[in-house]
Amino acid sequence: MATKRRGGFGARRKRNMEVKAVVDLGADSSDDDLPEEVTFEKAKADAVRSMRNALETVKRDKELLKEKRRKRQELFQQQKKRKLLSEDMLEEIESAYTKKGKPLDSEEQEKEESEEDEDSEEEVVNARLKESYKAVRLKDQIDANTRQESASDFIRSRLYGPGTNRTTTNQMLSLKNKTGNNKTAAVQFVNKNWGSENKGKAEKLKKRWVHSQTVVAN
Amino acid sequence: MGEFKVHRVRFFDYMPSGIRCMAFNSKADRLALARLNGSVEIFNFSNNYFQEKVIPGSDSRSIEAICWVGCDRLFTAGLNGEVVEYDLERLCPKYTLDAFGGPIWTAACNSAETHFAFGCEDGSVKLFEILPDKIQFERNLDRQKGRILSLSWHKSGTLIAAGSLDVIRVFDVKSGHSVQRILVDRGPAGTRNKDCVVWNVAFLSDYTIVSGDSAGKVQLWDANKGTLIKTHLVSKWDVLSLSVSENEDSIVAGTSEGTVIQFQLLSPTIGDAETQWIRTRTFKHHTHDVRAVTETKTAVVSGGLDTQLVICPLMDKVEVKSSESVLRKVIFPHRSLVSCAKKPSLLLFQFPDQLELWRLGGTDTVGKPGESLPVTRKPEKLLQLKRKGDDHICCSTISECGHWIAYSTVSSIRLYQLQCDNNNISITKVSKLPKVLRSAHQLQFSADSSKLFVASEQATIHVISLSRSECKHVHTFKPKSGSSAPVHLLAASADGQWLTSANRHCEINVYNLKKLTHHCMVPVYNSLPSAMAIHPETSNLLMAHADQQVFEFSIVDKQYTDWSRKLQKEGLHRCRSKWHTPITHITFNPSASSQVMLHDTHMFCIIDQRLPLVDLQAQFYSQLTPKDMSETDRPSKNNAFKMCKKYQIVLGSLTLILTLYFTALFPWPLLHVNLLEDDWLVVVERPLIDIHSQLPAPVRQKKFGT
Repeated sequence: MATKRRGGFGARRKRNMEVKAVVDLGADSSDDDLPEEVTFEKAKADAVRSMRNALETVKRDKELLKEKRRKRQELFQQQKKRKLLSEDMLEEIESAYTKKGKPLDSEEQEKEESEEDEDSEEEVVNARLKESYKAVRLKDQIDANTRQESASDFIRSRLYGPGTNRTTTNQMLSLKNKTGNNKTAAVQFVNKNWGSENKGKAEKLKKRWVHSQTVVAN
Repeated sequence: MGEFKVHRVRFFDYMPSGIRCMAFNSKADRLALARLNGSVEIFNFSNNYFQEKVIPGSDSRSIEAICWVGCDRLFTAGLNGEVVEYDLERLCPKYTLDAFGGPIWTAACNSAETHFAFGCEDGSVKLFEILPDKIQFERNLDRQKGRILSLSWHKSGTLIAAGSLDVIRVFDVKSGHSVQRILVDRGPAGTRNKDCVVWNVAFLSDYTIVSGDSAGKVQLWDANKGTLIKTHLVSKWDVLSLSVSENEDSIVAGTSEGTVIQFQLLSPTIGDAETQWIRTRTFKHHTHDVRAVTETKTAVVSGGLDTQLVICPLMDKVEVKSSESVLRKVIFPHRSLVSCAKKPSLLLFQFPDQLELWRLGGTDTVGKPGESLPVTRKPEKLLQLKRKGDDHICCSTISECGHWIAYSTVSSIRLYQLQCDNNNISITKVSKLPKVLRSAHQLQFSADSSKLFVASEQATIHVISLSRSECKHVHTFKPKSGSSAPVHLLAASADGQWLTSANRHCEINVYNLKKLTHHCMVPVYNSLPSAMAIHPETSNLLMAHADQQVFEFSIVDKQYTDWSRKLQKEGLHRCRSKWHTPITHITFNPSASSQVMLHDTHMFCIIDQRLPLVDLQAQFYSQLTPKDMSETDRPSKNNAFKMCKKYQIVLGSLTLILTLYFTALFPWPLLHVNLLEDDWLVVVERPLIDIHSQLPAPVRQKKFGT
């Protein structure tokens, strides 16, 4: 500590020694060579630079953190806004509220207001339901189906999943064919799924052409 | 004899479903089999391995375990979390019970048959009490973390072994706590990443647990100490099924590569008292995963994803050389799935979820015997009728004129009227059916298409009169003996006077349709009838039974005919003993009244009743093209029994002019053979290679040199 506070000379000496040590250890030079001369200014500049870098990184980190916090705050605000009613909805409610207002006793007015509130709330709730909810069949949603599916997935993955070393029936039959007495063609010689789109298009074109020919003939 | 022109039909894409689990009932000698589409089949092993009952499946039902209780109660449990008990008389589920544990993976009954244990997805083992008419939830054993995939009771009923992922637990039934936890090692180096699934456990009476797991090991554990006794590394893939014989001296295991391995309790040195479990036999009858295996007294029965049921006899247990000592493969159902409307040449194919109606093609050319003729009119698919609801179709039929189609599921019967102009097909559903019709085991139209005969689930036969405007219920026939066995065969005579029905108790009843009374009952023969038909002219009833015997009964005289008695005395040719599949269809040649044609899955034969029966030792002569040969050259022996083994014209004067829709000349299994007018024969074939090419993926086996 004392050496550090004293600053320049002691630090410089230490740093020089360190530099020298580094040079001694790093370089493949022999012990006879003189250590390299490092000036005071250069060393000072180095030190200052390193301190500045450190300060800058700290500042940058702080800023980044701030940015992140700000962004998160914004996101929360947006979500909150989305959850709350939109501006239009509020206007609608207000207009409905003021429209239904007639000259009545205060009590009745209060009751009506509360009813209107409920109505409007219901209206609002119904409108909201239409947007974010939908009706589904209970039969499709029952837990049992998902459990049964997960059980069948388990057995399928154990028998046919990755790592089970399965091959196709065509391969197995080809193997039998190869070792059998009568060697014939493979059972599934042609991959029928290949080019199905092109084949479909060709069929349609052929039909169209035939139709056009018959129309021309007629 | 006769020359026929043949339609070879190969557009029936029949695809059976893979076998998931099976259970053998040794008291009743019956095997119950559950398939992946939810259907349950029962085979009667003492009756020539005949497929006695078929309970159709359902889309919402899935079966993972099947269990017999007593002689006549059958339970299944599946991934939809439900336990189903079946009514074996009405061939439908009696009731379903939700176990509330999620998908059920396994079910086991204790040896005293008082309790059921179910292993569920949530890790709990649920105990149900078996009452005479239902089962009732009793309690849960301690819930564990992983899903319970296999269960086995100890013979005493006090301990249950449960297999889960990487671990086998032994539960004490009384307290419900897990008393032993056995960790299963994950196997050789390649499989260490995946957890080891214990697919099967079996608890032997000397407190040894046998387990088969996904690393391909069959291991023997000591349940008291929780230690490993022996490991047998059986395959590189999973051991999917395990079964212990009744006297616990043999264990059979089925693997994913299609092998079935037997272990026997033997002493390694002769004369030594100490016995060990030693791997003895390996069978490879399957090409795909073997998911169900069981053992009877004399055979090993296995079934798997290649949809075949294989019954392999163990030669050291078989004592008599009888039909028991033959390897059997049951691939096709023992009933006909094809109906034929002869006049308009229509074929109706029955699938579990739809019906398809096809019109046969035709040819205008004439050819020489043995030639294949080019097709001028292609066969066309007229109609595809999908069923409504989840239940699978159990029976269907089309009328002779082709204007009516009917099918039935376990919950409903539907009748359709078909109008078929040259190119336009229109189908209308008959909406108001009589209320008495709920479900049917068999449907049959009368020969003039004016009546529909429905064999209902209550073992009665309803007669419904059909007309364009409405259908009325005319009469109900009840069996004379009052038995409630399901009726599986119906035959109506061509003149509309007689109706015969055959039920699962081997009873054949004949009813008079004009007087609407019961006429007589054919003497009961021990074997189940597999096909039945009434001769159009002589009104003789021809019956074929599951043990390949053929009888003829005269309905008018109420006794067996002379021809039938002669046939029984002399017996049929020894070639008949090679037939393993039952005869599924009998029909008559419209142009020659004495010719009877019957077929099973691998061959069809024509019997001419006028000609003398063949001697047992006689040789058959091959008679080629008798029309070209002169009178003097024809051999003198004219046999009554001509057999045509799949277009290898081995014997008989059957000359075939073939009309080929697909090019192939190998013998394929037959699904249906019928005689149309003008000497046309329609043969519906289903090549096994077509079924094999649509099976799921098998394991990859590296063979040297490929």
